[in-house]
Formats: sequence, structure tokens, C-alpha cells
Amino acid sequence: MISLLVSIPMLFAFMLVLVDILAKSQRIKTKLVPAIYLLGSFLPWLVLWTSCKNMPVDEVVGNWTRMGGIEIALDNYNFYFILGALVLFSMVSIYSFGHFREGKAYSVILLMEAGVLGAFISRDLFNYYIYMEIASVCAFILTALSEEKGAKKAAFRYLVFSLTASYLFIFALGIIYLKTGYLNLNLIKGSANSKEINVAIGIAFSALILKAGIFPLHFWLPDAHSKASTPASALLSGVVVKVPIYGMLLLFYAFPIGEMMRKALFTVSFLSIFSGLLGALLQINAKRLLAYSTVSQLGYVLLGLSTGSIYGAIYYSFAHMLFKGGLFLGVGSLTDAQSTKDLRELSYRGNRSIMIAVLLLSLALSGVSPFITAYSKKLIMGDITGSGLFLLYAATIGTMLYAIKLNYLLSEPGRNGSAKAPSSLILALLTLLLGIYMNPSMNPADWGLLVLASGIFILLRKFKVLEEIPRFEQVREFGRELNIYMVTFFLFVLAMMLIQRLQ
Amino acid sequence: MVGITIMLVGFYGLMSKKDPIKIVLSINIVSVGLVLFFVGTGCIKEAKAPIMPRKSVVDPLPAALMLTTLVVDVAITALALTIILRMRRRMT
Repeated sequence: MISLLVSIPMLFAFMLVLVDILAKSQRIKTKLVPAIYLLGSFLPWLVLWTSCKNMPVDEVVGNWTRMGGIEIALDNYNFYFILGALVLFSMVSIYSFGHFREGKAYSVILLMEAGVLGAFISRDLFNYYIYMEIASVCAFILTALSEEKGAKKAAFRYLVFSLTASYLFIFALGIIYLKTGYLNLNLIKGSANSKEINVAIGIAFSALILKAGIFPLHFWLPDAHSKASTPASALLSGVVVKVPIYGMLLLFYAFPIGEMMRKALFTVSFLSIFSGLLGALLQINAKRLLAYSTVSQLGYVLLGLSTGSIYGAIYYSFAHMLFKGGLFLGVGSLTDAQSTKDLRELSYRGNRSIMIAVLLLSLALSGVSPFITAYSKKLIMGDITGSGLFLLYAATIGTMLYAIKLNYLLSEPGRNGSAKAPSSLILALLTLLLGIYMNPSMNPADWGLLVLASGIFILLRKFKVLEEIPRFEQVREFGRELNIYMVTFFLFVLAMMLIQRLQ
Repeated sequence: MVGITIMLVGFYGLMSKKDPIKIVLSINIVSVGLVLFFVGTGCIKEAKAPIMPRKSVVDPLPAALMLTTLVVDVAITALALTIILRMRRRMT
């Protein structure tokens, strides 16, 4: 039954392409294409509604035995991933109405929905890989479709690195298959551990870290996410980077992860949080700021995974899907309407509903108390003590700083232009309402931190620290740049393998 | 073993070649090596091809999985080359 979650968007995607090519008159086309598109993206809600009543569901497609078939499941691990993905896809489908000129772009979005949902329900490593590949191929296409200068380059870089990472991931799967004889997670779980499997897990983790865009391997992310068109970048930043996160979750579920590996992931996540933060603070390009913030926020998710608070990581990725998708839609609709991305010229003064949406979403981003982020952040921070906790508070203040910067620069008068508000407003209200539903208590310390962050922001503005933006002009040749990043990636893979080999 | 060696050759290409088309070709070399490695994992000594029911056959699953990977590979190569074409068109 839950396999319908995948097959419905896929079926409608193919129908959309057929109608787009075969329909003779323009009138039929303009009526049919949006109808099919909306049906494809909203029907999975029905499936989720009927099957979430008897959670946890666990089934093997086609009623094969577990050894021969592909297992899929719907339970506490992936319910929030699926819910978040469906919410974001519905909002994006409302937003992207009439955004793309060609009908095929809509079918790519539907295919991406199929890929993402397929990856989220699978409990079989190879099946997971295939659906992740579908989602990321659609991501390459959506990035390349953008008209902006440099978008093609960004798409090519994204493609090369993502593809190399996928091949390394399958290589790791090959080693796991060779040693255990299974790809099904529930069957792998019981099998004995060996050194080869440890090394394979190291490779798999580094491949997934690249695909999620976490710090030392994040180089493709800011370009790809900021140069894609608005609905595409909301999807890329909201959902597509969560697919590798779910993969890491599956690895944690099936294998015992050693102490050294956890420590390495812990360090990587802190590096990611702070480097994303610095990147975001120094940007004046609105979409790049949000893209760097994704690097930082994914660090939190990895932190939750590495300290063992799995549910913290799950809730945090759910929250990130909603608020980052909403922010991209809100800010993106402003950049589209005012045709600039420079924060100093953008302004939401003329548009009250966008203003409310962006304000609420920024509060959610900084993790202030009644919002859903606060609850998940509390879960993640629960297990951390000592200097780690201190650093985390510093990171929270940093996050608030760039959220304040975004809002401050947007609230100054600038250009005018009508923008589409409803999708981001709905997402903003959802983050607030779900947060209240999950954790009704207020934590005054968050607001204290917010006041502190505003104080620091005013100081920084006074001394004009954030005014002069350092420019790192890329003078290197495009191909050389790819080589250098590739060397970084392989060094990282080797380091992870060594860490796994030593324990 | 041969598969892993071919993969390493591909990685060398990825790290040292500047031309985008050569990078795509290196990725293809990596994938060929990977397919060989994966098919090799199903190997059992003195076993036959798993076509008709026989006593000892090699594991058919890796070969089946690699079929999927090959299809993905072809599609992505086409996509990468298209993007390169578009990139060039913009430059000139």
C-alpha cells in the first residue's frame, strides 16, 4: 500500500510529459498540464492518510520473502521525513504555478517527489540508492534549467561531485554485500561485524556527507542552491539534502558505529555549524546567505545523529524542511519580483504578508521557543555537556545574528514589486503551530539569547564589521577548481577509512 | 581486484584532468570499474551461469543490480554532456 506513495507521482510525471507532447491545441495543454501536476503532487496525501493510521507498517513489495524482495516501511523513523517532504512539495506546487515556461519542468518536479518519497520509505540499501539517484538527477536538471549566469556551471559541478559520491556509496554497498550477503537492513542488522564492513561504512558516510553538503565537502552547495530558480532551490535545500541524512540514519540503524567514528562525525558537525555560520554572516546575496545557512543547519542534524539523539535529528530535519523551504520561497519571491539578489536593495516593506512570513520563519530559524526548532534543538543539546554546550550556545547566537541581519537589511526601504506570499506564509504558520503542538512550554532563555544577539548585532553595525564584505574572487580555471575539490574529497574519504580501520 | 584498479584510474583522471568532457569520461571509467567489482562479488568458483536450474550457480543478484546502475550511468552521462554543451554555448 505505501508503495503507492512513490508510484502516484511517477505515473503522473509520465502522463504530464505525454500530454505536453501529444496535445495538439494550446488550450487543452494549458488546462490539462496544471491539473495533472496538482493531482500528482496532492494524491500522495491520501495514501499517507490511510496508511498512517496503522503505523508502523512494514511490507515487502510484491509479497516476496524478505531475502528476495525489497522491504519498505513507514514508522517513527521516517514518518516525519515523509510528512515534511509532502508539505513542502504541496507548497512548492502551489507556488510554482506558471513559474516555468515548459511543461517538462513540472514533470521533473513530480519525478523528484517520487524519488524523494521512494528513498524515505525504503529499508533496502540498494533501493535507497536508486531513489536517491532519481531525486538528485532531477535536482541537476532543475539547477541547469535556471536562466541565471553561472547556473550551468553550478549544475555541472553538482553533478560531478554527487555522481562520484554515489559511485563510492555503491562501492561500499558492494563490500557490505560481499561480506554479509544481504542488502536488506533488517537482515544485515543481525550479521557479524568485520573490519571490511567498518571500512565500507567509512566510505559510505563520507559519500553521504558530500551529498548532504556538510562542511569540508560543501563546496558545490552554495552555488547550486542559490543559482537555481526559486521553487527549485526551496526543494533542493529543503528536501533533497535530507535524503542523504536519511541514509546516514539507516546506517546508524543497521550497524554498530564505533566510538572514534562518532567522535569524528561530532567534530565534522561542529566545523560545519561554524563554517556555515561564517559564510552566512558574510553574504549580501540573499539566496547565498540561505544556502550557507543550510550548511550550518545540517551540521546540527549530523550532531544529533553522532551523539545518539536520533529523534532530535529527525525532528530537526523536519523543522529544517519547513522553515528553510519557506524562507527560500518567501525571499525567492522577493528576488523574482524585484529582480535583484542584493540584500541592500531588496525590501519587504511593500508587502506585509511576506514580511510576517519571513519574520516568523527567521524566528524559527534561530530556534526561539514556541517554534518547532526549539523542541528539536533541546533534544539534540540534551546529551552534550561542557565546552560543547558552550559552543552550541555561541552557535545559536551566531544563527540569530544572521537571521537578524537578513531581516534588518530586508526591512530597509528598497525596490518595490508584487510577490507571491501564500506558500511561505502557510509554512511559517505551520512551524509555529506544530511547535506549539509538540512542546507547548515557553523557554524565556531563548528570548534572552535573542536580545543578546540583537545587542551584538547593533555593536557590529556600529563598528561596521559586517559592512565590508571580503571578496574571494575565484580566478582559478573551472576545471582546475574541480580537481582541487576532488582531491579534498578523496583525502576526506581516506581519513574516514583510516578512522574506521583503526578501531 | 581489476575492478578496483580501474576505479582508481578513473579517480586519477578526476583529480588531474581539467577538460569537463575528460572529467565525464573519468566518471564513466569509475563506473565501469565499479560494475566489474560488483559482478565479481557474486562469483563462486566453478559455478555456471544462472540460466536454467543447475546445481551450483553464480549469484545473479549483483549482475541484476548492475544493470540498473548502468542505466543510471548512461542517462547521467547524456545529461552531463548536455550541460557541457549549454555551458560552451554561453561562453562563445
